[in-house]
Amino acid sequence: MASTSRGDSLPKVQCPNHPDAILVEDYRAGDMICPECGLVVGDRVIDVGSEWRTFTNEKATNDPSRVGDAQNPLLNGGDLSTMISKGTGAASFDEFGNSKYQNRRTMSSADRAMLNAFKEITTMSDRINLPRNIIDRTNNLFKQVYEQKSLKGRSNDAIASACLYIACRQEGVPRTFKEICAVSRISKKEIGRCFKLILKALETSVDLITTGDFMSRFCSNLGLPKQVQIAATYIARKAVELDLVPGRSPISVAAAAIYMASQASAEKKTQKEIGDIAGVADVTIRQSYRLIYPRAADLFPPDFKFDTPVDKLPQL
Amino acid sequence: MEQNNSLTPFPQGLASPPGAMTPVMPIFSPTMRYNTGLTPQPVQNTNSLSLLEEQQRQQQQQQQQQQAASQQQGVMVGASGQTPQLYHSQVSTTTALPGNTPVHTTPLTPMTPITPATPASESSGILPQLQNIVSTVNLGCKLDLKTIALRARNAEYNPKRFAAVIMRIREPRTTALIFSSGKMVCTGAKSEVQSRLAARKYARVVQKLGFPAKFLDFKIQNMVGSCDVKFPIRLEGLVLTHQQFSSYEPELFPGLIYRMIKPRIVLLIFVSGKVVLTGAKVRAEIYEAFENIYPILKGFRKTT
Repeated sequence: MASTSRGDSLPKVQCPNHPDAILVEDYRAGDMICPECGLVVGDRVIDVGSEWRTFTNEKATNDPSRVGDAQNPLLNGGDLSTMISKGTGAASFDEFGNSKYQNRRTMSSADRAMLNAFKEITTMSDRINLPRNIIDRTNNLFKQVYEQKSLKGRSNDAIASACLYIACRQEGVPRTFKEICAVSRISKKEIGRCFKLILKALETSVDLITTGDFMSRFCSNLGLPKQVQIAATYIARKAVELDLVPGRSPISVAAAAIYMASQASAEKKTQKEIGDIAGVADVTIRQSYRLIYPRAADLFPPDFKFDTPVDKLPQL
Repeated sequence: MEQNNSLTPFPQGLASPPGAMTPVMPIFSPTMRYNTGLTPQPVQNTNSLSLLEEQQRQQQQQQQQQQAASQQQGVMVGASGQTPQLYHSQVSTTTALPGNTPVHTTPLTPMTPITPATPASESSGILPQLQNIVSTVNLGCKLDLKTIALRARNAEYNPKRFAAVIMRIREPRTTALIFSSGKMVCTGAKSEVQSRLAARKYARVVQKLGFPAKFLDFKIQNMVGSCDVKFPIRLEGLVLTHQQFSSYEPELFPGLIYRMIKPRIVLLIFVSGKVVLTGAKVRAEIYEAFENIYPILKGFRKTT
């Protein structure tokens, strides 16, 4: 009997005598052959590769491979429904210029919300250039939350934004809530609420944010050289170790450290500029700076080249 | 209001002398004097709104418990220089109804995994102070909010904004939300007794305006307490070890939110050492929660 072995949910074809042997596919005859004993386990297996090879480099609109889009079975729930696409050529339009076959609706209402959310997640991630692995993780988180239905009443966009925040954190490259707000239409308060709810629903936890997580991003956005970035990272870490800034948000401490490092170097940045990039108010930077200023001499890395010496640092 | 003055607050800053081998004892007990509003009393549901009666009743209860407490003094373990109420007997940490025998040496509740594990140690000696009590009562009749707002003093009513009359009284300093269904929410009192008294005062006001107000189902819904452990706390360490209970997001809120399961209390713990406890229905839950968290906080004391 012809049986396929595609898909994780379907039963795997195995040689009855050697269940562990990996079957060899013979594409010419469409057979699956056991390498240990030579038994033909599955015959007339449907080849799912391309029908013919395409050599063109540019993306032609019609891809002659008829296998279709790469399916995302894990995320879409293995939906096999099809839809009639927009017609090509003149015959598909009737006399008024409308397309003859219009019914592109009723795709899969159950997953429609999820697909919309995935689209939204991709849009948001593109705005801040997030890599594919974070987008995939976000999609997975969203799917888990969606299936659990515990946050059903919340706006899908809010849940998607919160999942994006969690995914960035889990991958070790946290984004501040304000950065996620900047690419989403949801308020920081709502994202924060959904974030806590999702952590509870999925029973996961995330690591605490540290000052070093944001240094490279903030410094490169400000155009600061690597030396200043290293110095700022060191300053922030030392400040937290010496407990000069108890109770301050790590973002504020990072911003103050960047300010101190940039003021000591040739590339001086104002508090307002740093505040704009970091999403911190400049009074907040001022407060944290006042706390670290007294010990400024201890905070700089030993091999730092001072453009402005420590005693000439601005004192606000 | 003299009965409130007669309640001496539990002395603050009472620490067990370092060498004293005091067994684990919650410093609250069912027979302590503050306990007039503590446990659900068998309420002689006098629907009469006489404030005088209310005060008399509470004085009586107080006296009863003073007698019970004086019986306790004979059973006290050597309390070196500590106040008489502080008797070191092992009582269960949940409140008992005052009808039961005061002296019961039930063993401690076993440490379930949902309770933060606490080593047997001396008490903290710090008592959380109650800051706010929210209670509800049913006046038992439909009310016309417009007449109440027009005739009562210190009442505001803005139906477009909120569908209730907001009334305030100065003694005890509280605010009440009075709804047209006859139900009322009283907030801002600092003790259970004051909350009940304030609610009765509001009900009296409504009664004087001509409505057949009663005093049904008075219930304390929420109690908020706060205290200071007097040392700075390492919140990062606490969130690492108690992940399933804590939530610490410095971007969202500067304090750590600790959701204790037993008793079901939410604690806001700050770096400075100040702790806010909320979500309690009875005073003992606040005390119990603080006694549970204190050893944990001591373990995360900042050393510098």
